[in-house]
Amino acid sequence: MRYPNLLSPFVLNKLTLRNRIVSTAHAEVYAEPGGLPGDRYIRYYEEKAKGGLGLAICGGSSPVSIDSPQGWWKSVNLSNDQIIEPLARLAGAMHQHGAKIMIQATHMGRRSAFHGEHWPHLMTPSGVREPVHRGNAKIIELEEINRIIKDFAAAARRVKAAGMDGIEISAAHQHLIDQFWSPRTNFRTDDFGGSLQNRMRFGREVLSAVRAEVGADFAVGLRMCGDEFHHDGLDHETLKEIAHEMASSGLIDFLSVVGSGADTHNTLANCMPPMALPPEPFVHLAAGIKAVVNIPVMHAQSIRDAGQAERLLESGMIDLVGMTRAQIADPHMAMKIREGREDEIKQCVGANYCIDRQYNGLDVLCVQNAATSREATMPHVIAKSGGPKRKVVVVGGGPGGLEAARVARLRGHDVVLFERESTVGGQVNLAAKAPQREQMAGIIRWFDMETTRLGVERRLGVDATDAMILAENPDIVVLATGGASHMGQVAGWGAASGLSVSAWDILSGRVAPAQNVLVYDSMSTHAGAGVADFLATRGSRVEIATPDVKIADDVGGTTFPIFYRRLYALDVVMTPNVWLDEVYREDGRLVAVLRNEYTEVQEERVVDQVVIENGILPNDQLYWALKDKSLNRGQTDMETLFAAAPQPSLSQPLGGGRFLLFRVGDCISPHNIHGAIYDALRLCKDF
Amino acid sequence: MHSLDHLVTLLFWLAVAALAFGTMRRARLWRAGAAAPFNWAQLLTVPRRYLVDVHHVVARDPYIARTHMLVAGGAVAAVALVALNYGLMLYWPLLNGAIVLAAAVMLGGSYLVWQRRRAPLPRLSAGPWNRLPYTLAAFALGLLALALLPSALLSGFFAALIMLALLAGTAELVLGIGTGGPMKHAVAGVLHLAFHPRAERFAMRSTALRPLDLAAPVLGVEKPTDFRWNQLLGFDACVQCGKCEAACPAFAAGQPLNPKKFIQDMVLGFSGGSDAAFAGSSYPGITLGGHSGAPEEPILPALLAPETLWSCTTCRACVEECPMQIEHVDAIIDLRRFQTLARGALPGKGAEMLGNLRETATQGGYDNAARYHWAVDLNVRQIRPGESVDVLLVAGEGAFDMRYQRSLRALVKLLQAASVDFAILGALEVDTGDTARRLGDEATFQAQAARLIATLSTLTFGRILTADPHVFHSLKNEYPALGGHFTVLHHTVFLAGLASSGQLKLSATSETRAITYHDPCYLGRYNGETEAPRALLRQIGVRLTEMERSGLRGRCCGGGGGAPLTDIPGTQRIPDIRIADARATGAGLVAVACPGCTAMLEGVVGPRPEVIDVAELLAAALEGQA
Repeated sequence: MRYPNLLSPFVLNKLTLRNRIVSTAHAEVYAEPGGLPGDRYIRYYEEKAKGGLGLAICGGSSPVSIDSPQGWWKSVNLSNDQIIEPLARLAGAMHQHGAKIMIQATHMGRRSAFHGEHWPHLMTPSGVREPVHRGNAKIIELEEINRIIKDFAAAARRVKAAGMDGIEISAAHQHLIDQFWSPRTNFRTDDFGGSLQNRMRFGREVLSAVRAEVGADFAVGLRMCGDEFHHDGLDHETLKEIAHEMASSGLIDFLSVVGSGADTHNTLANCMPPMALPPEPFVHLAAGIKAVVNIPVMHAQSIRDAGQAERLLESGMIDLVGMTRAQIADPHMAMKIREGREDEIKQCVGANYCIDRQYNGLDVLCVQNAATSREATMPHVIAKSGGPKRKVVVVGGGPGGLEAARVARLRGHDVVLFERESTVGGQVNLAAKAPQREQMAGIIRWFDMETTRLGVERRLGVDATDAMILAENPDIVVLATGGASHMGQVAGWGAASGLSVSAWDILSGRVAPAQNVLVYDSMSTHAGAGVADFLATRGSRVEIATPDVKIADDVGGTTFPIFYRRLYALDVVMTPNVWLDEVYREDGRLVAVLRNEYTEVQEERVVDQVVIENGILPNDQLYWALKDKSLNRGQTDMETLFAAAPQPSLSQPLGGGRFLLFRVGDCISPHNIHGAIYDALRLCKDF
Repeated sequence: MHSLDHLVTLLFWLAVAALAFGTMRRARLWRAGAAAPFNWAQLLTVPRRYLVDVHHVVARDPYIARTHMLVAGGAVAAVALVALNYGLMLYWPLLNGAIVLAAAVMLGGSYLVWQRRRAPLPRLSAGPWNRLPYTLAAFALGLLALALLPSALLSGFFAALIMLALLAGTAELVLGIGTGGPMKHAVAGVLHLAFHPRAERFAMRSTALRPLDLAAPVLGVEKPTDFRWNQLLGFDACVQCGKCEAACPAFAAGQPLNPKKFIQDMVLGFSGGSDAAFAGSSYPGITLGGHSGAPEEPILPALLAPETLWSCTTCRACVEECPMQIEHVDAIIDLRRFQTLARGALPGKGAEMLGNLRETATQGGYDNAARYHWAVDLNVRQIRPGESVDVLLVAGEGAFDMRYQRSLRALVKLLQAASVDFAILGALEVDTGDTARRLGDEATFQAQAARLIATLSTLTFGRILTADPHVFHSLKNEYPALGGHFTVLHHTVFLAGLASSGQLKLSATSETRAITYHDPCYLGRYNGETEAPRALLRQIGVRLTEMERSGLRGRCCGGGGGAPLTDIPGTQRIPDIRIADARATGAGLVAVACPGCTAMLEGVVGPRPEVIDVAELLAAALEGQA
């Protein structure tokens, strides 16, 4: 019996979960206006239910009160009765596939921003501003406390009325309940401040009101932090006391424990541990709390693998495993574990594309799975085509080309994939060279295994020419040829004469790091900071300069802190707001001329090496060589593509020299990994 | 009428005496065995058993069927005529004419025997068996000469020559039984048919093991004389044709078992002696001459190596092939019973499994409550005392295996789609004890059976349904002797019924790979069910490509009889051979109907056809399925 713990059922109150695999509450940013789950929201969760998980807790940070803003992250709004009907539809969809569904309910207190929707005055125990969200807030008054407690109870009533299986109250990530708990934010001198007992009063009263509302048989959980990691915050021992108190109250059926506070940029990065952190970095905090409570403990944070999850359960550290990003990457993970198809699981690599989008108020998407949250139009399981079997030639083995080859093969076609390098992966292979970014390679590992398993004919180490492509007698050609470093944009950089080198040159090992290095990063994505880190880690003295307002400005909220932790520790000098005008040689060394964006003042740097990250230019030679020969003259019909419908050109007779030509990803214009994969999936799913 | 005729008469009666004496001598060895019911009237069953049951097996090989018909038919007719004409001293020329005919037929048969032994198949024994064409021909030629030649020629040298030929032939025919020669089989074979230890098999497919009296002084068989006398007689019926050897999966895999040698060793056991003279293939890896036995000596290890005993998968392929209707597997189990119950000498993981069974009622040492974990989200009813249900699903040990859970989930899906009134046994289910029984632990088997029968007797259900042929066989065929009488159905049979009545609506499969079907031994050979799974596959539009060994003659997957637990090494693994069989058909998919077969065949490493239970194929072809 494999996974005897992970796949064993679990009883929570009157609820039997079919296994221990949970998708814990996270902000989806999918709710329809008004905070109502719509078709997209329900399909997103239903896919996980189909995929075999035991329990999903939806609606991260769903507000119970009208003055806890809902709109910033398109949260589910539990503050009025309109929510009952859509939640009932959600519950029905989940139950149909044997899964259970709960929702998280909260009041965010100061953890929001005032300037939107109803322009509310945010509230917090002592009026301390929240730094990450710039949450200016007032001191909460007794009347407001009492009203919010009632709001929690009313929200619980709605959740129960909708036929949901339970409710999780959030006291994690510095929401209102833990704003009361934390000495960092609670300086009150009334019954709700001072002693720990007083600071716990609000949370206890919330739980009492909720339990009174839903009765003894409805599952109620509490999510809490295991250590805020702030000198003036809640430490692990205090949180154990709180956990013990809450668990012994008899008011809740489970605790969900996470590590780290979340009210600074740096602590926030811990909450959804990015790939730089080790696996399950905070499970010890959950285990510490489990040691002092008599109710089940759930934990999620970088548990991505079935073996890992089984080990944590077997060792008794936790009772339920949250594998949330793991199931954003592959909603069918649980089923594949059950069916012994672990190798087919698209495993989360901790790239945090999902959460980094969410912190920008954008819908959660997976860097490596373009079907997630697009279930209405994009299939997670590719069905065989009922149409003619075709010869599809894909050029380029980066993520876009791999996805195109995979999907076309699953459609039942004969697929040939050309890749110039001896291994697949394209630019992702370079991205994985940066320190602490190695797990990016995991994205490719899956595509590599899948295209092999499915029988794509892979011609690796072959630099395809138009003649070679035509010799295959293709019906369809998909170009996914990516791009090359865009070094020629400014003549003064001297790239042509070797005065500057590209980030790719360094990451690929083609050019060795020099002693004093200026990294000029006009893109502010992971690549620039990554190459600076790469150089500094190898002993170079590095300055990284950018015209943007800060270094790594286009790297999301849970990832840029990782770069900053490393760059500061390595004494990398970070210089924002400058342009690189020129590089010239003087006395055997290089002089780089930087110009301040705002003052136009130029300054010079004398260095040994100038490394430039300026994105890419599309590789489009093959496109122009093939365009005129193709039936569709290389054109993708945007109307049908955006409508997720089959390309009209597919209905023509193909073969015998008549072929269609399409492009996906960076070889059209620079996108990103998700963009390339999405391009390929939406195009090839109808081949 | 001359003196040669009298000589023949003398020879005839001497031969009769020798045969009688030899038979009595041999019978004394058999009778050293344990008691078994005996009734002379059973001799009357022989013609039918010979002409129907034996013929049914022999006819599978037309050449040898023809050969035996000629040589044995000719010999029996000739001897009967000689008995008449010479024994009774009639000396009628007309009868001599008939003798000529019979002897000619026999001579023709002898020629065929000779032909066959010119380039003998490896499964055939050599040694004394190789002289048979000559001694039989001598007998036939002697008779021909005696009856054909003018009397003038029947004197002197010729007469001596004829008498020599007749003497040689007669010696072969009548001394065999007393001395253990090849022709022993004629007498022992006839008696074996009459007094067969598993007489039920002539009325129906009989494969259930006999319950062991746990209060008996000796549990199972330690020494040859612990076998029942008619089992010993049965061993003597062996003609060393090696059909069993050719069918044995363990032999093919290079494990130290050869059913033919095993039977000969049992003969050696009750008659005494060494195996040095054995003229067939030895147990793979074990050289001849190292083993010997005696009637009152323990069989293991002097006569039989333990590895030989534990290599058997109890697949019954040997029994199915044996023209002499010998029951190899019963003998193996009798020996295992003593080794396990009296000596605790069970190799590999066998003992661990038996401990698990006693302590947890599961083979793997699991929590019984976990047996139906795979069903918690399927909305399946759990049976309770006082609530009646038509179909009770019994999952078996496979329910703890993630792979087999897929088959079970598919089965549940089918039952639900067909609106079957069913429930699972749930945490009430305990192991049937089947594997314990195959490993000789009759005590644990009977304890498990008593427990399961007690549980089932508190419940109200119409029929038991299982997807595990071992559970099926155990409950259906072996529980009745212990007081458990149930209607038991294998899922393929039940589903075939639902499909043909239209209750289960199936559409054509979307599977495009070539498909072959692997017969589980405990469904096919043990229970004769080879058609239902094939009918179901036809129903969803599958055109089966059959493997060379299929149906009642299917090749074992290697998973039976506790063999995966005792795990005796060979030169290759049985499932590898079976997958090679499947590959040879060009199949991309092997349909199966047993959790054991699934596990064994899926254990084959490297590229191989996919292994899918029939239920899974059907579930994917349910009507209305996307």
